[in-house]
Amino acid sequence: MTGLEAIAAHNGWAIAAVGVSIVFSGLTMLSIVISQLYKVLDFWERRDEFFQRMKGRGAVEDVPRITVSPDMKETVRQYRMLADRLGKPFSLPRLLDLARKCGLVNPHSTINRLLKQEIIVPDGEGYYHWHQSISS
Amino acid sequence: MPTDIQTLKSLGLFEELTPEELNRVAPIIHPMKVGEGEILTQRGEPATVFYVVLKGNFIISFKDGRAFTLHERGDIIGWSTIVTPFRYTGTAVALTDGEALTLQGDDFLQTIQGESSIGDKIMKKINPIIAERVPYFSRDAARRDLPPAGAE
Repeated sequence: MTGLEAIAAHNGWAIAAVGVSIVFSGLTMLSIVISQLYKVLDFWERRDEFFQRMKGRGAVEDVPRITVSPDMKETVRQYRMLADRLGKPFSLPRLLDLARKCGLVNPHSTINRLLKQEIIVPDGEGYYHWHQSISS
Repeated sequence: MPTDIQTLKSLGLFEELTPEELNRVAPIIHPMKVGEGEILTQRGEPATVFYVVLKGNFIISFKDGRAFTLHERGDIIGWSTIVTPFRYTGTAVALTDGEALTLQGDDFLQTIQGESSIGDKIMKKINPIIAERVPYFSRDAARRDLPPAGAE
């Protein structure tokens, strides 16, 4: 028995199909790995930055809690409610404007107190956020 | 009433001026009291007065809602009085009662341009402050997805 008959008799077609599948699967996997290689290389080049960021995250967790004095508790609550309407980070002039429209007493000096006590903190880009850890 | 020389000498902006130079600028500098909520400069308006903070706290806000605050003696407000196109880039408002020294823009500009030694020393102090503040009003506001002013 020779030729196609012999191939069919000894599962040659199935073996060929498996072989083709294995080769194509391997090639597919290889191409996926190669296509994503730039990410690995990019990460490798920025590894110092990545580790620094990871350390920074740890530092954020160590931010000391700010204790709000009893007389400021209600003020913080009111201003926080207003700021929440502005999103995060928020615009300080808009918070001031909103406080004025809502009729809060002395909004300018109150915001100044919140800034001085670091309850409101600048983000370095001209916007502001609440201190990460405020306790009353 | 012009400001006394000692006060001027204690301020960073004038600290490098000689006593003679201080005597020349003193007549154009006048102290003023500022009340909480008082607007010192209005963004887009002609810049006519330059301020040096003596006491108090101030906020300077810009078109896209950005702002920074000033809390230190010697901080300056209104550098646009000496830089073209002579229009304020931000709105300065007093957060608390305070005091400031004022210089009329024309007088200040005339002094800086007319007396090169004084001009150099003052501009050397003002230039880094301008460089520090430029990003607040020149950044692309669209980068931030913040609601427009008044959209509460």
